[in-house]
Amino acid sequence: MGEGTPRVQMRGIHKVYPDGTAALKGVDFDLYPGEVVALLGENGAGKTTLMKVLSGLLRPTRGDVLVDGRPVHFRNPVDALRRGIGMVHQVFTLVPPFTALQNVLLGQEGAGLLRPLPEEQARARVQRLLEETGLEVPLDVPVESLPVGVQQRVEICKTLYRGTSVLILDEPTSALAPVEVDDFFSFLRRLRDRGTSIVLITHKLREVLEVTDRVVVLRQGSVAGELPTASATPERLAELMVGPLSTLRVARAPRSPGQPVLAVQGLRVRDDQGRLAVQDLSFEVREGEVFGVAGVEGNGQSELVQALTGLRRPEAGEIWLSGQRVPSLDPLSLYRRGLAHVPEDKARFGLALGFDLVENSILGRQREPKFLGWLGRLRRPVILRYAEELVRRFRVVAPDLATPVRSLSGGNQQRLLVGREISKEPRLVVAMHPTRGLDVASTLYIRELLVQMRDAGKAVLLVSADLDEVLELSDRIAVMYGGRFLGLGPAEEFRRETVGLLMGGVVPEGVHADAARPPSPR
Amino acid sequence: MRTPRALRPLAESLATVALGLVAGGVLVWAFGHSPLAAYRALAVGAFGTREDLLETLAFATPLMLTALTFAVGVRAGLFNIGAEGQMYLGAVGATFVAGMVPMPAGVHLAAATVAGMLAGAVWALTPAVLKAWRGAHEVISTIMCNWIALHLSMYLAIHFLAEPGRAERTVPALPTARYPVLSEESTLTAVLFVAVGFALVVYAYLWGTRAGYELRLAGENPEAARYAGVRPERVVVLSFVLGGLAAGLAGASQVIGRPPAWSLYATLGNVVTLGFDGIGVALVGRNHPVGGILAALLFGALAQGGRLMEYEVGVLSELVRALNGIIVFAMAVPELWGMLRRRLAR
Amino acid sequence: MRWKAVVTWTFALGAVALGARFLERVGLPPVSLLETGLLAMTPLALAAVGECLNQKAGLVNIGLEAIFMVTATVGVWFAEVGRSGTVGLLAGAATGALLGLGFGAVSVYGKADQIIAGMGLNVFALGFVPFLLISLWAFPGIHVFPNELMVPRIRTPLGQVSPVTLAAVVVALAAHLLLHRTVLGFRIRAVGEKPEAVDVAGLRVDRLRLLTATVGGALAGLGGAFLPLGWFGALVKEISAGRGFIALACVVFAGLEPLLALGAALLFGLADGFASAVAVTPGVKERVPFYFVSMIPYVVTLAVVAAVIGRRRFPSTVGRPYARE
Repeated sequence: MGEGTPRVQMRGIHKVYPDGTAALKGVDFDLYPGEVVALLGENGAGKTTLMKVLSGLLRPTRGDVLVDGRPVHFRNPVDALRRGIGMVHQVFTLVPPFTALQNVLLGQEGAGLLRPLPEEQARARVQRLLEETGLEVPLDVPVESLPVGVQQRVEICKTLYRGTSVLILDEPTSALAPVEVDDFFSFLRRLRDRGTSIVLITHKLREVLEVTDRVVVLRQGSVAGELPTASATPERLAELMVGPLSTLRVARAPRSPGQPVLAVQGLRVRDDQGRLAVQDLSFEVREGEVFGVAGVEGNGQSELVQALTGLRRPEAGEIWLSGQRVPSLDPLSLYRRGLAHVPEDKARFGLALGFDLVENSILGRQREPKFLGWLGRLRRPVILRYAEELVRRFRVVAPDLATPVRSLSGGNQQRLLVGREISKEPRLVVAMHPTRGLDVASTLYIRELLVQMRDAGKAVLLVSADLDEVLELSDRIAVMYGGRFLGLGPAEEFRRETVGLLMGGVVPEGVHADAARPPSPR
Repeated sequence: MRTPRALRPLAESLATVALGLVAGGVLVWAFGHSPLAAYRALAVGAFGTREDLLETLAFATPLMLTALTFAVGVRAGLFNIGAEGQMYLGAVGATFVAGMVPMPAGVHLAAATVAGMLAGAVWALTPAVLKAWRGAHEVISTIMCNWIALHLSMYLAIHFLAEPGRAERTVPALPTARYPVLSEESTLTAVLFVAVGFALVVYAYLWGTRAGYELRLAGENPEAARYAGVRPERVVVLSFVLGGLAAGLAGASQVIGRPPAWSLYATLGNVVTLGFDGIGVALVGRNHPVGGILAALLFGALAQGGRLMEYEVGVLSELVRALNGIIVFAMAVPELWGMLRRRLAR
Repeated sequence: MRWKAVVTWTFALGAVALGARFLERVGLPPVSLLETGLLAMTPLALAAVGECLNQKAGLVNIGLEAIFMVTATVGVWFAEVGRSGTVGLLAGAATGALLGLGFGAVSVYGKADQIIAGMGLNVFALGFVPFLLISLWAFPGIHVFPNELMVPRIRTPLGQVSPVTLAAVVVALAAHLLLHRTVLGFRIRAVGEKPEAVDVAGLRVDRLRLLTATVGGALAGLGGAFLPLGWFGALVKEISAGRGFIALACVVFAGLEPLLALGAALLFGLADGFASAVAVTPGVKERVPFYFVSMIPYVVTLAVVAAVIGRRRFPSTVGRPYARE
């Protein structure tokens, strides 16, 4: 536990973005020498934002930051580094073909512009640093061929080389295998014992309990609680993270679900970096139910949804839609078989922002016979009427149909998208983060739509990092962590804090991990 | 002054053209001529008399087509700067059918036109295939094809199509394969209507058919296009073929649609650089077929007016092309209008 | 990298040796072929090496053709004014540097679409150069300047070699050393691969890119001025004839490595020289139509581009403006 005067003091930090979202609402945060502090919270709680302020990437809308008792105003990360504060992000800024040594040296080469790169002198210094901190980094391999866990160590080395006394790590273990995590923790402890202050941004409860001295929990931009790790329990932390136990649930008529519409068996999917993002997943989604997948982003959800919707080829496993095996990489044939896809980033995948409402209303549907005339002609009157109907039925607010979708608010964009997908009369709706970033009215409306789909006998697969959303809408819940489902069962069996624990990787008593009945394809 | 959203593209185009004119004026002044006199001659030459106006239209005809080549490329997310080469072969193809393959009156003209268009489209296939299947960047491949086409066309013009006894031109188009002249005082022919018609057909295709929609979607948002099941290779080939048809028609228009020669010069002088000129036209026309028609009128006016400018003031008409280049350069900056406004507002 | 360079060079020299034997049999003197080939290589190599630096930093300048055309004209004028070919070459380099700087500024600060900006330069040159030619000389189609103004060549056993050619080789070597052995080159390579890393390290992304754009322009400018002053001895409107784009192909073929770009320039230069030789050699020129021979450099380039693309590694940010989040 740190002692003495705080090295860093943050007082009353507010951060409001130009579009009005308040990411931080008056946060106080202290950091002492020689301690490891966990900054815990869900997606959107503000932990990364707070640390971006401290590390100089963002400027606070209000509030003060003091380092060693003196106020500071960082204009950029380089300023912060000069005061000894460095942050290692989830997305690395490494130059892929350079070696680790070269990456560490960039900007700090220690020689004139036209002189050769003083690799050998620097190597000695870097190696001394590695020995002192116990960090193991192969210095002469191109960084792009290093596994992600090692790349992260290069990033850390980069920061330490500049003489940091405050090291901020954003979700550092998300890239590590369990074995590597233990080594990583010993490194952290050694660093702390040398007097470095370490901030660990994380959502993983086990790690918090294992390696930190103090925990600060953020929820929706404010400090929800702060306690020494010694007196923290997973339940208490989960409660602080997700809020008091509540039974806020949309009144849903109980339904008896029907046949499985989507069946998945042994699915394995790799991400863009070649890592296994989805590991041997098996589950099914039935008619008339909402199957909700909760979990913090980055645990394989994107890859899972992409595999299910024909946008990423799975490495192994089988997928059945309406009883037929699904071909990979062919969204159109999936749509024809009754798939509707509300993608995780509407602007990137589901809409063409430069096109108007009419043209976006047929995105993905442009080959349906009812919209086409002879020679591939688009039947304008039919499409126009359909678009008008969409706008009316789903209450999309827009000046007129010829407005480019870019000008619509996020909520209206999403209404258009969801309305388009629903009006396909699908058998399965896959919706990922459907209400992220939307205004309250649109959020409620879209959630209602999803429940309506379920009541009408459709199968709905809801993937969301918004815990409330999953709890409110789902009939069955699974929590995705590290590419697997930890806990799967009827929604009634999951209390809010249980889900919180599972999202943090902790499996409480009485919950079965991966408790899925093997699906029966027909 | 806030511009309403719908008018913003028009305002930007006009502002950039104005910028180009100012820069051109500076150039003219730097070389000892009077910019005012030069621009006055330009305007008079373009619009002064009825003949001038018709000539402006005649100059605009190929430009709206080569603009289409570039514009259809951009709409699909590509850079097709191969209009030059596609146009040369279009001219050759049209010359061949028009000058050496006698046909009955009703059919000949259409056949020559189609021959030109198809020649252009075929020439566009090479860069298209290289891009779609090898990922070869179309900038280098189209330029190389332009130069190959130049030599190939000159060769064909001189060795197969030359008028006996006159080495500098090909055989003229037979009377049955000539577009009717619209007025005795100018070189404008009915091919203008074909050009405008083709541009409108492409407009209808791109905005009114499924294939056209998918093409534009691929250019607007490739990831949403994937989501919508669009195959990228098809879009590439379609875009290049449409561009080649347009450029081929442009080349044909200068042979079977332009008196008094009705033939192709051995140096290809009556078609060169029209392809590159089309890039500026397309950009000013916001890469839209109809915008291209309007922009072509503007650039056609510059071309026609340039001739009087050269005659009266002594400023070479090529300056107009330099202006075109400055306009393209300025249009490369995406937020030019926004940036300038912010600067001026301070 | 060294391995690839050795292979490429061996292949190129081997092809040259075999080709020389063949050509002798056919009646084309190989020495004059080599001479022409080296001359043709020079502008290509200079522009390609410059553009290698540029693309390593993440910029794409397709306006090399424009730089060739403008600096060829400006170079000749300054040579006449200064009564020396060398003055002309320097003026060409300076003009090229200005054009490169302008392009760099628009790309970096204006966040311009670099391909369109480059095309703008090309179209501008297509119009401005004829205008210049008339304004400067009342140009009738070709402008011949006094022989004394040409950059003199050095007699070697391999034929008459221009000092600019030797300079091009030196420049390629220097560029290689700069890129791979100095801190500046290290930073340039970093900024092309991951400008975020450079920015985060506190270095100026814009200055690095402006530097490469200017140097690239200067080298291309030198090459452009060389065309009339070191080779053709006269100035015509189409003196460049697409060479700027062939230089781009050299860059692509070489994977942005200056020494390989030199080799590629030699390859394309020999194709160019071969075409010229065929066009004038008695026994051959009747049998092969001039126009097809002229196509050779472009067909070769096209073939190389088609075959090689996709297996080359580019800095991932080439062509994209950098904007800090």
